[in-house]
Amino acid sequence: MHIIDCYAYSNKIRAVDPAQKAGLAVIVLGLCLAFNHPVVSLLAVAWMWGLAVWQAGLPVLVFGRVLLAELFFLALATVAVALSVSLNAPANPDAWLLPVGPLWISSTPDDIFKAANLVLRALGAASAMNFLALTTPLVDLVDLLRRLRFSPILIDLMTVMYRFIFVLMESLNRMYVAQDSRLGYSSYWRGMSSAGLLGSRLFIEAFQRSQRLQTALDARGYEGGHLQVLPTTYYRSDKLLAMSAAAILSLAAAWLVL
Amino acid sequence: MSWLEFADVYYRYPGQERYALDGLTVTFPGGENIALIGRNGAGKSTLFLHCNGLYRPDAGEVRFAGRPLVYDRKSLKALRQHVGVVFQNADEQLFSASVAQDISFGPFNLGLTEPEVRRRVRMAAELCEVVDMLERPTHALSGGEKARVALAGVLAMDPDILISDELMANLDPWGRRRIFDIFKRLHQRGKTIVLATHDLNVVRRWATYVVVMAGGRAAFAGSPDDLLANQAVLAETGLAQVWFDEI
Repeated sequence: MHIIDCYAYSNKIRAVDPAQKAGLAVIVLGLCLAFNHPVVSLLAVAWMWGLAVWQAGLPVLVFGRVLLAELFFLALATVAVALSVSLNAPANPDAWLLPVGPLWISSTPDDIFKAANLVLRALGAASAMNFLALTTPLVDLVDLLRRLRFSPILIDLMTVMYRFIFVLMESLNRMYVAQDSRLGYSSYWRGMSSAGLLGSRLFIEAFQRSQRLQTALDARGYEGGHLQVLPTTYYRSDKLLAMSAAAILSLAAAWLVL
Repeated sequence: MSWLEFADVYYRYPGQERYALDGLTVTFPGGENIALIGRNGAGKSTLFLHCNGLYRPDAGEVRFAGRPLVYDRKSLKALRQHVGVVFQNADEQLFSASVAQDISFGPFNLGLTEPEVRRRVRMAAELCEVVDMLERPTHALSGGEKARVALAGVLAMDPDILISDELMANLDPWGRRRIFDIFKRLHQRGKTIVLATHDLNVVRRWATYVVVMAGGRAAFAGSPDDLLANQAVLAETGLAQVWFDEI
């Protein structure tokens, strides 16, 4: 999470209006889902990857690694689509069969195609979200939600939760090191016990910190309601706009042609 | 010059038998560098939480500029404009995702306009030397930077009295030095700074006024030289041993 966050803050299009980046990501995601064609999905991955590298200046491998991690989970999730398990051998003459004890594991070219299409479709949609996550810090997305008139309380909650993720991760790390240095993870069961204690302690810590945060907010004149802070200023990138239009049109054209 | 006064203040935390403030009577004079010292549990943090109305005394009176504190919304808002409190752990004060946004929180609560808030943020950031990190996320700052941002968040409200509850406890000597440079600039502007500290060097070299807390009361209030000359207080508060060991 730290790495994604670092790139979100340090990329070349960080200051571009998040509406522009989110707009592109949402449209590409929508097209991947709506068109449901492997070529469209692959094209979406290529565009998002390309824009992240050439426009945002992210290293090629960073986007690739994130996609690879997602591909792993997607592949696991679609195993059930590609393979069937039954007690009787399937009658389909095209099926590949593998007997495992009393069970038959089978698959057909159609199943494989369906699974691959599903993976590509999800990967295309995920690449659009990756582009957004790697180029836009959460604070900008929260700001966008504010502009879109989302509930102020929800937005404040998101802001504070986002901040607390990092604070609690630091606490978690400190506590883990303290436990580990006293052999808290020297065996499996001791590790389980230590992890349980750590979890409960972290919960108490989170509660106490929230109370101290409330005191600190009150000390700065907070009287309840919306946590008002300065809005961020952004600029519009015509170059990104043109490339976004080209990406969307190429996806639509690919679907029409194919 | 603004000042704070505690007149026979008692405060007990819910469920506790012992009073955290046990008949505290002390005055914090305006325009001074005030060091507040005392053992852990002496009541320093509880005292601070009374200074800008976060806690309300069970008995007695807290006065600001000669007038007793009034605990209604409007009065507290006015008080918090004059008395700023910055706490020991900066992580517990920084809630916003970016530095500029966090600093702007206090000024917005004062009801200022956005251009004025931007001016205040800039002013506080310059004072605390955090201008170059205004757009950075708060979680990506070092401990010293977080402390300065937390300080800037309070100074953006332009308080007359700045209360710092062991802000420098976790900082390295360089980080502490930068905070003291900020305090020096504030002192030159006539601000009152109240600093809780366990560092007796701070008392000797920085403070112009010292308050020693013991058992929820002020055991001493006066100049550092007077404290050093007061053998009875040094002995009673156990300062004699630690002070002379330290020196």
